[in-house]
Amino acid sequence: MAGTIRAQYPATIRPIRINCTGRVTPSLIMRAIGRGADGVIVSG
Amino acid sequence: MLQAARTLRLNIHSYSELEEVSGFVGNFNVKIRKKARYVTNDCNGCGACTEVCPAYGYDEFNEGMNSRKAIYIAFAQAVPSMAQIDMMKCIKCGLCKTTCELNAIDFDQKDEILDIKVGSIMVATGWDEYEPETGYLGYNVYPNVITQMKLERILAPNGPTIGHLARPSDGKRPERILFIQCVGSRDLNKNMYCSSGVCCMIAIKNSKLIKQHYPDSEISVAYMDIRAAGKDYEEYFTASRKEGIRYIRTNVSRIKEDSETHNLKILMQNTLSSDELREREFDMVVLSAAMVPAEGIEKIQKILKLENSQDGFFKEFHSRLNPVDTKIPGIVLAGVAQGPKSIAETIAHGRAAASSLSRMMSKDKYRILLIRAIVDKEKCAKCGLCELNCPYDAISLKPDGAEVDEILCRGCGTCLANCPSEAITLRYYREPQYEKQIDAILEEI
Repeated sequence: MAGTIRAQYPATIRPIRINCTGRVTPSLIMRAIGRGADGVIVSG
Repeated sequence: MLQAARTLRLNIHSYSELEEVSGFVGNFNVKIRKKARYVTNDCNGCGACTEVCPAYGYDEFNEGMNSRKAIYIAFAQAVPSMAQIDMMKCIKCGLCKTTCELNAIDFDQKDEILDIKVGSIMVATGWDEYEPETGYLGYNVYPNVITQMKLERILAPNGPTIGHLARPSDGKRPERILFIQCVGSRDLNKNMYCSSGVCCMIAIKNSKLIKQHYPDSEISVAYMDIRAAGKDYEEYFTASRKEGIRYIRTNVSRIKEDSETHNLKILMQNTLSSDELREREFDMVVLSAAMVPAEGIEKIQKILKLENSQDGFFKEFHSRLNPVDTKIPGIVLAGVAQGPKSIAETIAHGRAAASSLSRMMSKDKYRILLIRAIVDKEKCAKCGLCELNCPYDAISLKPDGAEVDEILCRGCGTCLANCPSEAITLRYYREPQYEKQIDAILEEI
């Protein structure tokens, strides 16, 4: 959506598509933070 | 209905309730509780029993405005035309049993549980009229304040007054009638939604009907907005205005009763004119109450595992792109079960639901995606967390580990996020795939 309406957002935000927010495991979030991400937004 | 009852291979289970549903599209197992009528199928609806019955109850079909016997036929055109006994009112005198020539009365009848297999399910639970709380606009306090449904029964030829317009307090014909619109709808404290213009059109219809019968009637409609959106609706509304029905755009401020005449004094102001706040007197007030989901909808929602919209009606697959199907394959919605609708819209919706099902049922195959959860039974600790968390009821715990029903599973992955033993994976969306994506994105930091 953000892309089709050409919304501006920082280039440092990287989306990953998942099937359902229920699919997100804590270990995936911890992995991202462990590798240096400042935060993780889980949105559905 | 009569034609449906005569159709071969179409079984109607009236006076029955849904108890349990298991299985999946094309293969549902349904448990139906056929409630005891205390009358066997030999009954041909002759009505001899109702004539001799000495016990009375309120007639639900006529909104409780007249009485019926404890043994009764629900209403004149009921399908099947069979008597039933209201055991709360029955005095068990046995007069009906001795009168019945077909020996159809059975006081010992028990509820029957039927197990049937069906391929698909259509939910058509309909609606109930919103019941205003006691005292709101004088409802249940002043006898001449009634709801639209009661007026509908009063005007009906098979209603409590055999079609004669009579007000409840003295049985006289009300000459000055006020309709109050949007009772319980378009109201932030009650129901936010508009009942789809249905109450507007019913108020217009009934005011026209009364005016046709008694041209000297003074009929006013107190409204917020008249929603006459539909084919020929606006013309109908304009015609009613030409016939002399007055439309007052207002919010009723106060309603009081003259204790002697039982007439109603209503304080309101026409906001579309220079009219001031003033009191007008009416003989009867009709509340156009909202359409609300039918009683018992929560039970069916739990049994079928359907979702509800905010307004309490069943949630469709998509409110604009697919208002017929539900999230569960093989279950569709028809009519007001999905949201308030007029008769024409209900018929169109019902036909759409039927064609959606027949398109699916006429094929021999049902295609599913392969994105499904897979259980590694060696790792499974049989804790049952997945079974508890699955929104689609697709996982069950078996002695050798959790088992996924490939048809019920929708591949959401909630089970594997909850699995403490990491025994579940999602086909095509496995953990290492995501880990690689995260690593690649964060490599540059």
